[in-house]
Amino acid sequence: MLEAFLFVGLPYAAVIICVAGSIYRFKTQPYSYSALSSQFLEGKKLMWGSVPWHLGITVVFLGHLAAFLAPDTWRLFLSSTHVLYTMEAIGLAAAILCALGLLVLILRRLTTANLQPVTTLMDLVVLFLLLIQVILGIMTAMSVRWGSLWSTETTTPYLWSLLTFRPDASFIAGMPLLVKAHLTGAWILLLSIPFSRLVHMFSLPLEYLFRPPQKVVWNAHPHHGSLKAAEDKEVTRRLFLKGAFGLTAGGVLLGVGVLDELYRFFRGPRLTQAEEADLLDVTQKRLKKNAEEKALELERLRDESIFVAKLSDLSPTKGKYFIDYQMRPALAFLGADGLPQLLSAKCTHLGCTVGSEVNAQGRLLCPCHVSFFDVTNGVPDAGSPAKDPLPKLGWVLVNEKGEIVLSRGPKGEVEGTLLGHEKETLSVHIAKRYVEALT
Amino acid sequence: MTKLKGNDFIEKVRTEIDQRLPLDMLNLGDLMAHKEVPKHRMSWAYYLGGFTLFFFIVQVVTGLMLLFYYKPTVSEAHASVEYITHQVSAGALVRNMHTWASSLMILSILIHLITTFAMKAFEKPRELTWVTGVALLLITFTFGFTGYLLPWNQIAVNATKIGLQTIEQVGHYLPGDLATWPRHLREIIQGEASVGQSTLSRFYAIHVVVLPFLIFGLLGVHLLVVQLHGMSKGVDEPAKGQEKFFPFFILKDFSAWGIAFLALFLFALCLPFESFFPYPLFEPYDALGSTPEGIKPEWYFFFMYYPLELLPFWLVMLGVNGAMVVLLFAPWIFKGSSRKTLRFLAVLAALYLFVMTVFGDKIYHLVKGVGG
Repeated sequence: MLEAFLFVGLPYAAVIICVAGSIYRFKTQPYSYSALSSQFLEGKKLMWGSVPWHLGITVVFLGHLAAFLAPDTWRLFLSSTHVLYTMEAIGLAAAILCALGLLVLILRRLTTANLQPVTTLMDLVVLFLLLIQVILGIMTAMSVRWGSLWSTETTTPYLWSLLTFRPDASFIAGMPLLVKAHLTGAWILLLSIPFSRLVHMFSLPLEYLFRPPQKVVWNAHPHHGSLKAAEDKEVTRRLFLKGAFGLTAGGVLLGVGVLDELYRFFRGPRLTQAEEADLLDVTQKRLKKNAEEKALELERLRDESIFVAKLSDLSPTKGKYFIDYQMRPALAFLGADGLPQLLSAKCTHLGCTVGSEVNAQGRLLCPCHVSFFDVTNGVPDAGSPAKDPLPKLGWVLVNEKGEIVLSRGPKGEVEGTLLGHEKETLSVHIAKRYVEALT
Repeated sequence: MTKLKGNDFIEKVRTEIDQRLPLDMLNLGDLMAHKEVPKHRMSWAYYLGGFTLFFFIVQVVTGLMLLFYYKPTVSEAHASVEYITHQVSAGALVRNMHTWASSLMILSILIHLITTFAMKAFEKPRELTWVTGVALLLITFTFGFTGYLLPWNQIAVNATKIGLQTIEQVGHYLPGDLATWPRHLREIIQGEASVGQSTLSRFYAIHVVVLPFLIFGLLGVHLLVVQLHGMSKGVDEPAKGQEKFFPFFILKDFSAWGIAFLALFLFALCLPFESFFPYPLFEPYDALGSTPEGIKPEWYFFFMYYPLELLPFWLVMLGVNGAMVVLLFAPWIFKGSSRKTLRFLAVLAALYLFVMTVFGDKIYHLVKGVGG
């Protein structure tokens, strides 16, 4: 029964009284239709109270309005947790700003002697009501978190049900007491508008934002110059305040963002086990590859000869890559004489690795700067950037027993004979004894 | 008599040094009060040094951040860069900022160099500013060259190999025993017979310790003499006015930095630097595989790289080294030149750099396509 009154009866009553009362007051007391500024009586504290309050309440109001007017878009917008946190943080900061401003305003009303004659009971009531409402809002934000999200499913449909004259308080029936109190407070504040200084919100001079600058000169006074100077000072001060506020706000936002990112950067990622496993897998593969390279190096330091390929596996058109004694890439082909032909694959131009395919002209291509090399002797074509031939490598043919059958040095000196050996049983090795000759 | 002459000489040296390095001005009041920025049609050029400094600061900060995760070993360097890019929060952003800011730093240095040349900012007594500036340019190029290798991917290692090989090529033009010196020099730089772990360690040390020390020292001198001498006149005709450096110009400087930071941030957020290269080039380096196609240095070496591809080696080397000498001794070589002449030369140089950097690839293919 009480809930039906608070959330259906009271809202309608409040709206009706607010609208009717405001119109009545405007008709009967048009000059009271303002906040009845007391800036002349006390200006300093007013600034520190009024500016934060109005700034804060504008931001908070816009947030409430967004959730009310476009709940779906708003929810979509907040679906990213970053955005949600940011919005909630902005809202909370604005609400705290409101509360601080209200506190200053209340203290000012209570303690400034100049203001006592013009302060009505209604002024104080409104101030305290607003403070309570703001504190309720802050408490809601802190204890029933992510109100910007859940409001789109609860209070927004409730408000729309009121607006479309199908009142349905069931949307908020299960809400915590805090939220209900905040809602009730809202209706009471709405109700109090026509009876208090709050009417000034209907006379918000929006056109003020767009009007051309104008200067009001009270009278042509001999001290006109000093008046202008004072006015200029006032304008400068306002510009400075605006600028300082903008910079501070921007700086705080930027600072928070940067600190957050820095914190997470230096904290390092927290990987899931699967991610950790993938990472270890990659690392291990690279380490293995590195170990294999080291093994090759070791083999080259120790062994007198190193296996390249079986003689029968070599092809005249497609080279087989291997690593020579200096850990440089090299290629093994089958020569026209049926014997191996071993060439360094390190381009003599700028050290790229030469390709392994022999083209129709019997040339090997270095892809970096398009040098062509004759596969039979390693000599580059005339137009190629490379001028020196690819060095030939010496080799030895080894039989199954590991005995050297035939060998050819880099300069073409041949030792031994193939006679009496099956070609299939022979394998091609590079030999350490030819290394000195090569360098 | 001779003794007196000696005193005269010492006195002369003393005044010469004093003119170049007026250290008696070294107090905060003077430094802040006297520096003024002339207003004229080239005034925009006074921002360029500041931009360079700004990008350098970005490099220091992002570089330090990368240093927290990077591992300078052959087997782990690439994996650690991948880790930074994919796992560390905002790691990709920091890395992108580092690469983008490196390019932007070099770009602003180049424009700074060309404009200061055109404005004859090296005129007496600002020779020291100019010479340290040229040295800073070289250091920055070395930063770029060494930093390129650190991710240890295909393009990095292969491009480094080629870059270092050019040193060795000089040997072909040297007589007798001298011919082997370039090779020894190269092996000292790379630490072993071919580019490997030693090279990575050395480049890493150079990139994160040696060069920062050098650049901090030289930058200190550069900025100090700029402060001591104030801004150069820049143009022949009288300036339209002067603007105090503190607080007016520096505020403008800072707001320009803010815009630069925003631009850099957006670039880094949206556009990985690597999007300009085919993907396989960024696979980890494979010592046993063949060189992939499309190996190129960074864009700021194009002005040297494409001529190297197209012209005889000795000609390019002569040109580059000649240009370096001219650049270094510009304050004395162009002592008597008018600003008009210098502007003409600066436009020529800028045109060359622009054409080679932007159209170098096209020119290369055009010439190579016709030739064979």
